[in-house]
Amino acid sequence: MQINRRQFSATFAAVAASATMPLLARAEGGKTIALMFDAFDSDFWITGNVILKAKAKENGWTTLETISNRDQNKQNDQLKAMVERKVDGIIFIPTDNNAAIPAIRTANAANIPIIFFNRPPAPNDNKYVAIQADNRKIMQTTVSNLVDLAKKQGGKYKACVLIGDLGDNNAVQRRDGALDILNANKDIIEVVSQVATEWNADKTFSGLTNAIQAHPDINMLISPSDSEDKIIEQVLKTAGKWHKTGEDGHVLFAGFDGDQNGYQLLSTKYMDVNGVQNLFYEADLAYGAFKDIWAGKPVDKMLIDPGFAISQATLDSKRDDMWGYHVWKEKNK
Amino acid sequence: MSETGGVLSTVSGGTRSRPMNVVRWLLLSDYLVLALTALYVAALWFFVPEILSPTNLRDVFLQILPLFVAAMGLMMVLMVAQIDLSATSIMAMGCVVGASIMTDQGGYLAEHASAPVVAILAMVAIGLLIGVLNGVCTIVFDMPSFLVTLTTMMFFSGAAVWYTAAHTSSGSSIGGLPPAFIEIGYGGVAGIPYAAIITVALAIVVHLVLTRTVFGRWVRAVGLNPRAAAISGVPVRAVVVGCFALSGLFSALAAIIYTARLEAGTPILGQRILLDVIGAAVIGGVSLFGGKGTVIGVLVGVLFLSVVDNGLQLLGLSLSSVYAIKGGVILVAAVTDAIRHNLMARG
Amino acid sequence: MSDLLLKVSGLNKSFFGVPVLRDVGLELHRGAVLGLVGENGSGKSTTMNILGGVLAKDSGRVELDGEEVAPTNSRDALALGIAFIHQELSLFPNLSVEENIFLDHFPRKFARLPFVDRRTLRDRAQKAIELVDLRVSPVTPVMRLPQGERQLVEIAKALSRQARLIIFDEPTTSLTARETERLFTIIGRLRAQGISIIYISHILGDVLRLCDEIAVLRDGQVVGAGPRDDFTIERLVTLMVGRTIDRLFPERNPVSGPQRTALSVRGVSQPGIVKDISFDLSLGEVLGVSGLMGSGRSELARILFGLDPYSEGEIRVQDAKLPPLAPRAAMDRGMAFLTEDRRGEGLMMEASISDNIVLPSLVEQSSGFLRWLNPSELTKAARDVAERIRVNAKAVDRTAVRTLSGGNQQKVVIAKWLLRAPSIFILDEPTRGIDVGAKYEVYKIINEMVGAGAAVLFISSEIEELIGMADRIMVMGRGEVRGFFSRGSFDRETLMGAALWE
Repeated sequence: MQINRRQFSATFAAVAASATMPLLARAEGGKTIALMFDAFDSDFWITGNVILKAKAKENGWTTLETISNRDQNKQNDQLKAMVERKVDGIIFIPTDNNAAIPAIRTANAANIPIIFFNRPPAPNDNKYVAIQADNRKIMQTTVSNLVDLAKKQGGKYKACVLIGDLGDNNAVQRRDGALDILNANKDIIEVVSQVATEWNADKTFSGLTNAIQAHPDINMLISPSDSEDKIIEQVLKTAGKWHKTGEDGHVLFAGFDGDQNGYQLLSTKYMDVNGVQNLFYEADLAYGAFKDIWAGKPVDKMLIDPGFAISQATLDSKRDDMWGYHVWKEKNK
Repeated sequence: MSETGGVLSTVSGGTRSRPMNVVRWLLLSDYLVLALTALYVAALWFFVPEILSPTNLRDVFLQILPLFVAAMGLMMVLMVAQIDLSATSIMAMGCVVGASIMTDQGGYLAEHASAPVVAILAMVAIGLLIGVLNGVCTIVFDMPSFLVTLTTMMFFSGAAVWYTAAHTSSGSSIGGLPPAFIEIGYGGVAGIPYAAIITVALAIVVHLVLTRTVFGRWVRAVGLNPRAAAISGVPVRAVVVGCFALSGLFSALAAIIYTARLEAGTPILGQRILLDVIGAAVIGGVSLFGGKGTVIGVLVGVLFLSVVDNGLQLLGLSLSSVYAIKGGVILVAAVTDAIRHNLMARG
Repeated sequence: MSDLLLKVSGLNKSFFGVPVLRDVGLELHRGAVLGLVGENGSGKSTTMNILGGVLAKDSGRVELDGEEVAPTNSRDALALGIAFIHQELSLFPNLSVEENIFLDHFPRKFARLPFVDRRTLRDRAQKAIELVDLRVSPVTPVMRLPQGERQLVEIAKALSRQARLIIFDEPTTSLTARETERLFTIIGRLRAQGISIIYISHILGDVLRLCDEIAVLRDGQVVGAGPRDDFTIERLVTLMVGRTIDRLFPERNPVSGPQRTALSVRGVSQPGIVKDISFDLSLGEVLGVSGLMGSGRSELARILFGLDPYSEGEIRVQDAKLPPLAPRAAMDRGMAFLTEDRRGEGLMMEASISDNIVLPSLVEQSSGFLRWLNPSELTKAARDVAERIRVNAKAVDRTAVRTLSGGNQQKVVIAKWLLRAPSIFILDEPTRGIDVGAKYEVYKIINEMVGAGAAVLFISSEIEELIGMADRIMVMGRGEVRGFFSRGSFDRETLMGAALWE
């Protein structure tokens, strides 16, 4: 049947075209690593993907990629496929920190080093390395900076804390870090609202809108992810609360992640402080760990990215380490 | 004119060549999907010969099992011309409830020897109950099953998340399941994994029920023409509720295997595979209009989808192309099926 | 311009190597009505489908007004001026009359733009329906129209497409007597306008009345053709069936002596449906139920069998009360119900003959707690009963019922109940839409059953059929029983009168 043949040839050609890359690698005999993502639900992961691939290329490695679409079972199956392809190392970004454990065992059995990137597994006895940003600490530093600014401005503050998905350990850590500092400053700051956004745009929008309606005098806002920045801007603008630092009615605003929106808002003075996960550093840590393991050297189970806080004051000096700045620079050339 | 697929003789006076006859036979046969699968594997073998390695074949085999169980359950509902969108939410609900009973991190029967058994019974009970709920609402309130099961799907996936949050202090899943339970996912008897034994047993039972019992025939009749079935004395309402109950039960059974493999109770279990479950059944020849379906057909559909996924995983392509290719392959399967129906209708 | 509109010659068609049409030839003059007669399976439908573009011919020639035509789909056929009005009308009940008529050629506001010109639509629709004497507003949704008026909409549709040839396939099976008369008047008017008609029907009396010329098909060949005056009913039947049938109705040996009462109905009522129905039905008796459409006969049958509820009254089977709304209980007591809608309620069209036949008997044929079935035994039982009533098919377990002729389909439905050897058989229009030969066979089967001691409730709209088959006739009208007539006093006019009595 003509149609069948033609359509299949088209698919055939597409497969052939895009599949050549991994094949060439096979021919060269260089190292191959697998980048196993769960979803591209924020700029952090999109940029992460780019950075990991670029750095792999710098090292002369080939990359294979998979995406699980937030299905841990599927990701565990994908890992078996990567084992089948005999990769030399696996970068693993799980959805569920408990259900990822069987995957570790599979990697161990095949003697392939597995590195959890930015999301560690639940504590277990298998062999793995986890790169983690110390979310709590970074948020503490960030919020401390914000509180300092508040103290300098003077006056009392009503704070709203946005929380990501309570199922995500990172989100929980960031919330705890923020509350650590806020609750230590009860004399000038009252936390009037905590909004669970589940990393969902609509829920962020409606949750923040409701919070402001309930407490119209909110003047401090802490967000756990710059992916929410645009929505926050929308809500605050509608509520007439979108003002620059120094202007009347400015809401003290702390963000987290360090993406291009964060940089943008810092440079235009709408955001005061931003907690940055040092994506470059985390990638280096990961690849450094690979090299150590391949060379037979022992590696710590947890490698910490201390991150840093960047504010309007330190914008120029620290921005080179801020991954979002580079994205912003590319876009605004 | 023969009803079943098979070799059809050429039309008299036709001028078709032999290769065209072969292609025509292939398109009209029930083995079309199997042929497409083989074609796909052959094509991919050039790029990733690992696709036929014994370890990969074993991996794919294990992956198929729970999906096959779930798809068989869904087949029962499709055969009475209904649909069950809540299948994967039943999985999620069963998974977290079962985990909450067994987990050694404060489970209801933590550390008890009977914990796994009780958990399994609980999961099965949940599957049956939600299934019956679906069936009764569809029949008694005369609502389209699409609407009823969409509602239960949303309700129970939300309930599963809430239940998990209520049972864990941190994190989004319940870990620490007892080794006795996890054995189901990994262990076996005489080298045959438990999951395979369970699945094959279920497949045999379903096949026998469909072909050799009164209930199986009633299911077909209700799907083909419920009014004629009622007049012929078939208890239509009971049959429909029974099929929904079976779908719920099989979802729960699939959840048992998945949970054992993931070693955790996670409320988003199966969230992404609803379309795979239904798609596998439909690709395997189960008609969305009811009255048609076989266990072998479902197996072929499940095999096709799993092999396509496996092939793409092995290729490790840049992520943008993966979905496009999967969609393209499924589209080819659907188009060839449509052509096949056209050919059969024109005689 | 010759007088000949349509000339078909040497038409051949085969399906899967089985020849269905052999050298078929027809001629039709302008403004004439050609009656096409033949049993189911004789090739009438195939021939018409080829004319209407639904099927492709293998060889042969079709000439319209002297030019060869070969439509490949129904749109082509419509463009050529051939309109095919099927037995199952192809209207959309949810749309209005005007929308249905102009569905594929709405008048547009601006040339090609998709804006419907409602006013022109209204005008043209009004004119079209006046042509067929239809007195309804063009915006009436078709679902509100009775069958007869729907058919007129179909005719209006054909006329709006400037049809030169209109093919009617069994047009009167679902019409009342008055609607039939109206249809004939319209056909007369179409003839006067020069439109040619092909009229396919089993009702030979109508064919003889309406048509100028008649052609008879049997086994895919034309076995007789000529002007109407060459034919009588007997000759038509002989040509159709291939042998003489002395009588239309087979011999009956009436059972002598008083028989046991099988079914006893007292004062059954359901508001709006039936009122105060009472009668007795004895074993070995055929009780005909006559009445116009809408008189409540089919509704009564459904109530008796337990498919619909009733608010008052009592139904007793062999002296034991029958619980309402329980078809299974009715079946267990020996009742069987052949519905008037064999496609929608009697058969699973996609299933095989044997699957259909065994369906009501599955529980009885099963064994054990799990109700196991033995497929080969089931097939054998199905085959036995199918052979007994001569269902014409080779492999009962592999032939889909959908492929059978109407007559054979009806036999399958009868077979389905025969397998249970029922003692009370309710038949609702058992010979609707089936040809003469098959009808005779159905009558024979009914007589055999009655002779063996069964009781039959025979609902029919054909009074001649009831006069030929029944011992007594119960006339219904408007949901009530109008009267009973015994064999001695059967009389067409009296029966019609009783039914029409307001």
